[in-house]
Amino acid sequence: MIQQNLILILIFLPFLGAIAASTLSVNAHNAAAWLSGAVLVGGLIVMAALYPAIEEGRVLRSVLTWIPSLRLNLSFRIDGFAWLFVTLVLGIGLLVVLYARYYLSKSDPVPRFYCFLLAFTGAMVGMLVSGNIIMLVVFWELTSVISFLLIGYWYHNPAARDGARMALIVTATGGICLLAAMLILGQIVGSYDLDRVLASGEVIRAHPLYLTVLALFLIGAFTKSAQFPFHFWLPNAMAAPTPVSAFLHSATMVKAGVFLLVRFSPALGGSEAWFFAVTGTGMVTLIVGAVFALFRHDLKGLLAYSTISHLGLITALAGIGSTGAIVAAIFHIANHAVFKASLFMAAGIIDHESGTRDMRRLSGLMRLMPVTGTLAIVAAAAMAGVPLLNGFLSKEMFFAEAASWHNGSWLDDALPYLATFASIFAVAYSLRFIMTVFFGPPPTDLPKMPHEPSPWMRRPVELLVLICLLVGILPGTTLGPVLNMAARSVLGPETPYFSIAVWHGFNTPMIMSLIALVLGAVLYFVFAARISEGPEGPPLLHRIRAQRIFERMLLSLSWKWPRVLHRLFGTERLQPQLRLIVLLSFAAGAATLWGGITFLQKTGLPAFDPAFALMWVVGGVCAIGAAWQAKYHRFASLALLGGAGVITCLTFTWFSAPDLAVTQLLVEVVTTVLLLLGLRWLPKRREEIVGDKLAPARIRRAWDLVIAGASGIGIAGIAYVMMSRPLVPGIGDWFLKNAYHEGGGTNVVNVILVDFRAFDTFGEISVLAIVGITVYALLRRFRPGAESAGLPEQQLGEEAEALKDYLVVPSVIMQWMFPVMIVMSAYLFFRGHDLPGGGFSAGVTLAIALLLQYLASTVRWVESHIVILPIRWMGLGLLISCGTGIGAWLFGYPFLTAHARYLDLPLIGKVPAATALLFDIGVYALVVGATVLMLIAIAHQSLRSARLRAQDEAPAEKEVA
Amino acid sequence: MTHLDAVPLWLAVPVAFLLILGSSLTLLGTIGLVQLKSFYERLHAPTLGTSWGVASIVLSSMMLFSWLGSRLVVHEAVLAVFVMITTPVTLMMLGRAALHRDRTEQSPELPEAVQRALGSAQAPEAAVSQKA
Repeated sequence: MIQQNLILILIFLPFLGAIAASTLSVNAHNAAAWLSGAVLVGGLIVMAALYPAIEEGRVLRSVLTWIPSLRLNLSFRIDGFAWLFVTLVLGIGLLVVLYARYYLSKSDPVPRFYCFLLAFTGAMVGMLVSGNIIMLVVFWELTSVISFLLIGYWYHNPAARDGARMALIVTATGGICLLAAMLILGQIVGSYDLDRVLASGEVIRAHPLYLTVLALFLIGAFTKSAQFPFHFWLPNAMAAPTPVSAFLHSATMVKAGVFLLVRFSPALGGSEAWFFAVTGTGMVTLIVGAVFALFRHDLKGLLAYSTISHLGLITALAGIGSTGAIVAAIFHIANHAVFKASLFMAAGIIDHESGTRDMRRLSGLMRLMPVTGTLAIVAAAAMAGVPLLNGFLSKEMFFAEAASWHNGSWLDDALPYLATFASIFAVAYSLRFIMTVFFGPPPTDLPKMPHEPSPWMRRPVELLVLICLLVGILPGTTLGPVLNMAARSVLGPETPYFSIAVWHGFNTPMIMSLIALVLGAVLYFVFAARISEGPEGPPLLHRIRAQRIFERMLLSLSWKWPRVLHRLFGTERLQPQLRLIVLLSFAAGAATLWGGITFLQKTGLPAFDPAFALMWVVGGVCAIGAAWQAKYHRFASLALLGGAGVITCLTFTWFSAPDLAVTQLLVEVVTTVLLLLGLRWLPKRREEIVGDKLAPARIRRAWDLVIAGASGIGIAGIAYVMMSRPLVPGIGDWFLKNAYHEGGGTNVVNVILVDFRAFDTFGEISVLAIVGITVYALLRRFRPGAESAGLPEQQLGEEAEALKDYLVVPSVIMQWMFPVMIVMSAYLFFRGHDLPGGGFSAGVTLAIALLLQYLASTVRWVESHIVILPIRWMGLGLLISCGTGIGAWLFGYPFLTAHARYLDLPLIGKVPAATALLFDIGVYALVVGATVLMLIAIAHQSLRSARLRAQDEAPAEKEVA
Repeated sequence: MTHLDAVPLWLAVPVAFLLILGSSLTLLGTIGLVQLKSFYERLHAPTLGTSWGVASIVLSSMMLFSWLGSRLVVHEAVLAVFVMITTPVTLMMLGRAALHRDRTEQSPELPEAVQRALGSAQAPEAAVSQKA
């Protein structure tokens, strides 16, 4: 039990620390460092407490039930391998915090850095101890996202931004592949539990989808671990602050990929495809990284490529997959983390003290900073694989595996030569690192005169180099037990104890090491001068830059192709878009109804009524007239549209649908007025359009007429079929019967809207809110065309004098009507549950009242007298309706369950009260807000154009003066 | 028409009279709207229906339904008030708009009084333009 809690503490402590760090003040360098240090020390204490149980070979688990009904649990597990890795992450993290305390300058904002650092540690630890493969991917992606933030810490630097973005794109894309792989894996195994997956290697390898899973999985692991050809993000991520590089690119982020490879090698490994893909990629990366590293002039660039190369080495070992190879891989993970972290920190110190990282400018620093120099030399020697240092041991094991393991394939035969070849370059670039920076003549053109850094900045490096030496000299007593523990947890409990010794005798690996050392030294000393004069990359190859290819792809994907697609499939003109929409809807309707529709000979329709027919003739004429006049006489068209609307409204009344009639009438009013206000800003269309009488235009119009006719007839047909069908018994009757008993209202339409179908209404008002905001956003940027920007002709010249008071009487009446309309709106609202009305029509009424005020006087006058905050109305409306819905949860009912009862109010007596009324208030507020928002968007045009006119007139007046 | 059977004759006569008066006035106004020649003349026609027409229909309705419902039914009066307020304003606006249009277009339909006023103001200019 205590162990379970310790695991939970381990997971949550870094995240809590991150939250705490984010609240610190910007300059709290010491506090933030102490806090982070304490968190990481706490984590290390937990690891120490867990060690005895882990040492026995047990796997510690901790499960948090999260959503039991879906069997979703947060399960964590720690075995030897995870323990080693977590300890590594926490330990290096602690040293990085100490280092960062002295590295970051006074002006760097502290909370952000430590917050991200701790959150990253948390994500990394979570990834390492996840017991569920989906959760593993979640933490995996979390590390990608936080590493993006960390790499982009100096976001004012374009290189940091680009590097961060590239790292995110590459690793997150890999993460998506990994997620797909894990999902398929879960389907194959039948469980997302890590233990189950690891135990079912046979099943997975025999499954037809094995290769798909393997490919997706490897893309995920290779992108994270910067394997060729995805390696290019890592050098670009060097724009990060050095502590971040030391943390991310030595022990944590990039090691996640190889962790995954080693972890899943029992499940996915062991096949030929695995060997070729993993070992092959690993060897290519090993060589490419080593060769490129030699030619980099930037200190951190050299280290970055060297990291890529070492990751390739570990990947190759994971691909070989024998017991020795896995032990060597784990060993090298630890060793590389230690020496590479110290090298990054040393590079950071050099950069910090001298102001440059360019190896062509640095020289002879040994005299100026002897201690740092010595430390860096030892660490670089470990990187090169010099005996008595930790790098030598794991490299030796790698050579042994490369030379001895045989499956007879060409790749296996080539391994020793490839390994030696890469190692020659590793020795050469390590030598270059030491020789150019620390030896040679004293530096001449450095930005700053270097000196030893503050001792505490050097402490982490000292400690790491000490570990390099200790592990290198006494491997069996220092890291041996832990290493075997980790290997056992990966390969199974029956794995034999693997003893690590410094001296194995004068055997093949030793010879390979010696060849590499000698030839590497020769290579460097022969070509040293030429390398430092050459470009940043190997001869010929430096022109091929993966980064360029990536950027070109990015440009194509995110910029060019979308625009091509937009050009091909999109249009900025409204007419083709509308045509497409209508045609698509027609096609969709036709496709679904084709053959499935039958015309019934049913006589349930009301008998022919001449008055009604006449009314509809008028309505039809209005509608056709509106369409006919829409082009040149918009105003007439609008009036005719209103006529058609009135006929619709009358039809509703005729067929006893007062609710619909009221709503229709109000909506007609608002629509007409808003359109009328909008007409003002459209360009004039009095003149004939050129080419309007020509054949293409005529054909287009005829075609449009056909489309419109077909769609209209189609809709009419559907309506006819629906109406000529016998009424579906049940639904309508049910509503009629239950509206009062269950909804507490006698207006069935309203009860359906706010009670039975409240969720639909909720969706609709949300859409209305979105539409309102969209209209506002579109009109906010709208500027009328030049010809309609000026004052209308009625307001110009001497006519203006005559018409100055043209609105006096109407505006007085409109202002008188304001309170009346508010009362009307309240009336419609309150009676809505029992009689025609309701939140929607009441809301529209209030909106009309406000609309009239805008018409009656100027925008300025209205807004200085009434404060209307439409967005708040809308927000409040949504909150109220949503809150009413959530309120049902309090009583244990589903969302939006309504309740109706009678309340005894003093003085008034018994009144019906339903929670649906509350919901209706939300609808009401939202409708008011959305409508008024659109109104304001149009009304403010006049303010804006007045302002523009004032701006235009000001210079003109100056000229005159 | 069963519920109308209960209406006594002394009430039925004024109700019917007012109803017929109102609807006849409205019909007359509508015919006028179609028949009259100029826009300005036509402006006047519908006012027959919206003033006395509405008033007498509303009165008859109030009388009838107060009797039928055994209580005072007066809310139709609001209807009459609204119609009486809005129609003149609307027609006035329409008239002004027409006047504006005819002035700018120098339409012959312009009422004589306005033409005369305009003529005296614009005569010199018109003469100049004719010479040119």
